Amino acid sequence: MTVSDPITNEIIRNSFLAVAEEMNNGLVRSAFSPVIYESKDSAVAIIDARHRVLGQSSGIPLFLGNLEHCTKVTEEMFGRDAWQDGDIWIMNDSYISGTHPHDVTVYAPLFYQGDLAGFVASRAHWLDIGGKDPGVAMDSTEIQQEGLRIKPMKIVQGGAERTDVIELIVGNTRFPVSCTGDLRAQFVVAELGRRGLVELYDRYGREVVDTAAEVMFAQSEAQNREGIAKIPDGTYTAEGCLDSDGISGVPVRVEVVIEVAGDSMTIDVTGSDDAVRGPMNCGAVQTVSACRLGFKYLVNPDQPVNGGTFAALDVKVRPGSVLGAQEPSPCQFYFTPLGLLVDLIVKALSPVMPELAAAGHYGDGMILQFSGTDPRTGNRFIENEPHVGGWGGAPHNDGADGMIWAMSGAFKDMPIEVFETKFPATINEYAFRPDTGGAGKYRGGCGVVREYTMLLDDCDLSLWLDRSQTPAWGIEGGSAGAAPDLIINPGRDDERRIMKVNRTRLNRGDTVRLMTGGGGGYGDPAERDPDAVARDVAAGYVTPAAARTIYGYEA
Amino acid sequence: MSEQFRVAVDIGGTFTDVVVYEETSGQFRTGKSPTTPDDLVRGVVDAMNAVVGDPDAVRSFVHGTTVGLNALLQRRGERVALLATRGVGDSYFIARGHRLDIFNIHHVRPAPLVAKPDKIEIGGRLDWQGAEVAPLDPADLEYAAAYIRQEGIRSVAIAFLFSYLDGRHEQAAADYLSAALPGVTITMSHEAAREWREYERTSTAVLSAYSGPTVRDYLSRLEKGLADEGISAPVRVMQSNGGIIGIAKARTQPLQTFFSGPVGGAAGGEVLAARTGRDNLICVDMGGTSFDMSLIVGGKPEILPHADMESFPALMSVVDIKTIGAGGGSVAYVEAGGLRVGPESAGAVPGPACYGRGGTQPTVTDANLLLGRIDPGAFLGGKMRLDVDAARSSMTALAGRLGLDPYALAEGIVDVINAKMAQAIRAITVERGIEPRDFSLVAFGGAGALHAAALAEALGIAEVVVPALPGAFSAWGMLQSPLRQDFTRSWFRKLDGLTPADLDEAFAPLEADAREALRTENVEAGAVEFRRQLDTRYAGQEHTITMALGKTDLATDFHEEYRRRYGHASPGAPLEVTTARLTLLADVDFPTVEASEAEEAPQRKLPTQTVIFGRREHETARVDRDELKVGERLTGPLIIDEPTSVTIVPPGWAVAVDGFHALILTKDAAR
Repeated sequence: MTVSDPITNEIIRNSFLAVAEEMNNGLVRSAFSPVIYESKDSAVAIIDARHRVLGQSSGIPLFLGNLEHCTKVTEEMFGRDAWQDGDIWIMNDSYISGTHPHDVTVYAPLFYQGDLAGFVASRAHWLDIGGKDPGVAMDSTEIQQEGLRIKPMKIVQGGAERTDVIELIVGNTRFPVSCTGDLRAQFVVAELGRRGLVELYDRYGREVVDTAAEVMFAQSEAQNREGIAKIPDGTYTAEGCLDSDGISGVPVRVEVVIEVAGDSMTIDVTGSDDAVRGPMNCGAVQTVSACRLGFKYLVNPDQPVNGGTFAALDVKVRPGSVLGAQEPSPCQFYFTPLGLLVDLIVKALSPVMPELAAAGHYGDGMILQFSGTDPRTGNRFIENEPHVGGWGGAPHNDGADGMIWAMSGAFKDMPIEVFETKFPATINEYAFRPDTGGAGKYRGGCGVVREYTMLLDDCDLSLWLDRSQTPAWGIEGGSAGAAPDLIINPGRDDERRIMKVNRTRLNRGDTVRLMTGGGGGYGDPAERDPDAVARDVAAGYVTPAAARTIYGYEA
Repeated sequence: MSEQFRVAVDIGGTFTDVVVYEETSGQFRTGKSPTTPDDLVRGVVDAMNAVVGDPDAVRSFVHGTTVGLNALLQRRGERVALLATRGVGDSYFIARGHRLDIFNIHHVRPAPLVAKPDKIEIGGRLDWQGAEVAPLDPADLEYAAAYIRQEGIRSVAIAFLFSYLDGRHEQAAADYLSAALPGVTITMSHEAAREWREYERTSTAVLSAYSGPTVRDYLSRLEKGLADEGISAPVRVMQSNGGIIGIAKARTQPLQTFFSGPVGGAAGGEVLAARTGRDNLICVDMGGTSFDMSLIVGGKPEILPHADMESFPALMSVVDIKTIGAGGGSVAYVEAGGLRVGPESAGAVPGPACYGRGGTQPTVTDANLLLGRIDPGAFLGGKMRLDVDAARSSMTALAGRLGLDPYALAEGIVDVINAKMAQAIRAITVERGIEPRDFSLVAFGGAGALHAAALAEALGIAEVVVPALPGAFSAWGMLQSPLRQDFTRSWFRKLDGLTPADLDEAFAPLEADAREALRTENVEAGAVEFRRQLDTRYAGQEHTITMALGKTDLATDFHEEYRRRYGHASPGAPLEVTTARLTLLADVDFPTVEASEAEEAPQRKLPTQTVIFGRREHETARVDRDELKVGERLTGPLIIDEPTSVTIVPPGWAVAVDGFHALILTKDAAR
């Protein structure tokens, strides 16, 4: 069998994907934290000896190319000889991985016949990693308040678990059982990946597999260069504002400048604001991931990701900016600027990629966190949920109503029956918010209302809602979607509106009414099909009054 | 004694298959007749009459149908009104805010099966323990009845919060509506699925309300059609859970009929396992567009507690069948300079290039033809002549772009599709901590036996079984399946401290339901089994494992099973159970089928032709399957033809015919 046989190459390419898929299934099915098995906040990759991705799988789309950064940085810190057979490493440092301390990366070198042949890695969001507040804090001002900071270190050495290290880590979480379970799930994933790759090497030989990987990288790169070459050369820009970092109350600007030249693209975000005091900064590596995600939306979205996919994309980040966090900037909500950034990349390129364009989406996780002691059981609980909202209209379809935001991928909301069984509160309302989707030939999707009533005293509520300053914009003549809103105790004397807060106190009977934003509209509303307007009115997505004023529709 | 037939009829897209077992002679017979989409019952009756002469001789009748699934696929179901709890009725449309294609910013949800204006919210609320917080609002019910009447809606789904704990609000609403709206069909979510998660339970009820009328109408016509033919034997229907059920009950749980065809394959696997003493089987069905896989582990099919129906969830037991887009019609093409095969299929039209219907892209079938593995004159029993030149020119065009010769490309296409199928099998086995090497591969469907030996080779599987009647294996399986019905309730408890009395209490209502069901099924004398299971997990986890309750300790079994699946376990960590499941199984008393005695094999001088294996030409013998004798053993390379299938015995493999006329392929140890 010749080394560059296209048939063998294709079989091996499929095998890389199959191994990654197996690893991710193993992780999701054996994890202990709902944030992994329900929200799928995890990622796995197999990586070659030169830190290039062979195959990856992820429940959320954001981890495009930063697992390999962890192995690369580790090697830079400790040298290539630090890799030893039978070791497993762990880290969660925000300034290396780019995300928040809850994201724990576990990775292992893979040896074949005595040589370093590659790496397997997984990342999973742990329920708690220490820090000043249970779950997550909405008001941290330095990284140390957000959790235990783990720089690259060995957690398994020569096949033996380092119990001292495990005890140190587990001793710093408030939920040792679940975190230990998640850690073990990540060990299993490393083994699944190792087994899969070794089987491939056994079958085809190291040289054939490595050659197939090079061919695969080259094919992916060529395919993406082809995609970029179709975009007219030029400079494309977009900018928008985040509401606030939760501390200073000042809007934060994100700016995107995209340069397309021939078959290369540069995304430059250096014009974005300086790092902020509150927990809304993002490490440079994760900013690169977000730019890759924006790129992926527009160029070959159907193709699997590997070490060649982003070869033609350069990302420029300014250290010390909100998108290039440095010690000690807090990073808990690193993803909030990214939701805006990804939307802005699509917006900047929409005029020259009309078929792939989409209006802005509601663009934030809209996170509510309840914590306290359940009077029914006497047990402590934390409930932390992102919420669904409206997506942007597009050239051929309305935006989706009530769907999870871009950063949360394949997440599912929590069923009311599960919520009320597990937590001492009720959900009185879960419904679409009419007229929140931006008007257009294809309208934006509607946001939702979700209203909670507390069945306990001394419950802490923390909130992190954004995108009221720059709600989902319309394009091609479409209107913006409605901004999000949140009211505590609506209609009562103590009613208050609030978007970000850390641990405000609620008592029995208090009500929290969340209203998520809608998506932007696409195209001139005057061109909207009257039947579609009639259907929307009948369905309650658009009120008769709005249908009349915006679309000139009379029932 | 006159003839006594047991009959199974399975409707496929093109043909309706019938398999009958004649009890006196102990012989199976098959027949086939074109599926008649305008009047499916006629096709069923025709197929049966082609094999069975005397209606009085029919002792039992089992039927597999996909009319319900087709109604869903083609969106031809009944208009449904949905009654939901006030304030939260949009849950059905929010559909948990979920999407799978995470790189698509133009995501469009599949249209819900209820038009949004047909959702009616009803005041009234239960809490998390099933206690009433607010009574049902009669004014809302009155409005609902008026709306449904005015709109002429014929089917209603009622799905209220926490009805899995207490169905009284749903029942009261149903009573009110059935009095107010005679003739309207009502589906209650707590009857469709007695489990938590309002979206999934509502979806189950809606699916049932949507497709039920179509299924019921079809079953009634079938019953009448059979009665008109003079059949008085009990009529039963194959279910998605791998067992059969009386037609009366099938009417009340229409979703269970949806996957009866593919599930028949798994049922066939179960029968094969029991009959031949092979406990662990990987069953693969390869046709023109798709490759279906199911597992028989320890003699039983793997059952999942939840099903996905065209991306709508249904809370019901279903045989675990995984499908990938790989079949004879899978198309090969070049992308970024590399070879790709599938998942796109040329389908029946234009079909593979060799069909001569305008297809120009080479497919897996073209590759098999060019390699000499398919006989161009024997395809579909000679009813359709394949065009080798067309296959060659499609292959040559693509091969040129890859710098390969057409024969190398043809074998490469087969290798790539085999690798994809092997990976898919690996995925379903590894997911369960199962080692494929410990299994036999059972291959059926039009293309299964063409690829089976290569798949086995790739997976390290030592033995391939190609059953008798591989084209009608589903119907063969249905014929011998037990009666099965599943009963479920959400039952959330810590495992620690559960006593046998607690378990008896948990299962008592389910067992009462099961006994009642058994009474109405008029089962023949045969063994009856009540199988208790508990969905179990580590406290705090979400995913559960459905554990059978036996004589052994559940906790120990759980840790062991967990370790088998995931490679680690946490003995000592607290466990909890979430759902009690009771499976009723009743044997239909199928006669023991005896293995035939070995016959003397003739001295054969088989014709040979050139076939390519491993980039080399091999002189390969060819034989018709019905010429082979029980006990006969031949060595590869060999190709065995029959009207609906082709079996490849590659070089280095041998084949033997067992007492049940199955082909048993093994790596030839002598070489």
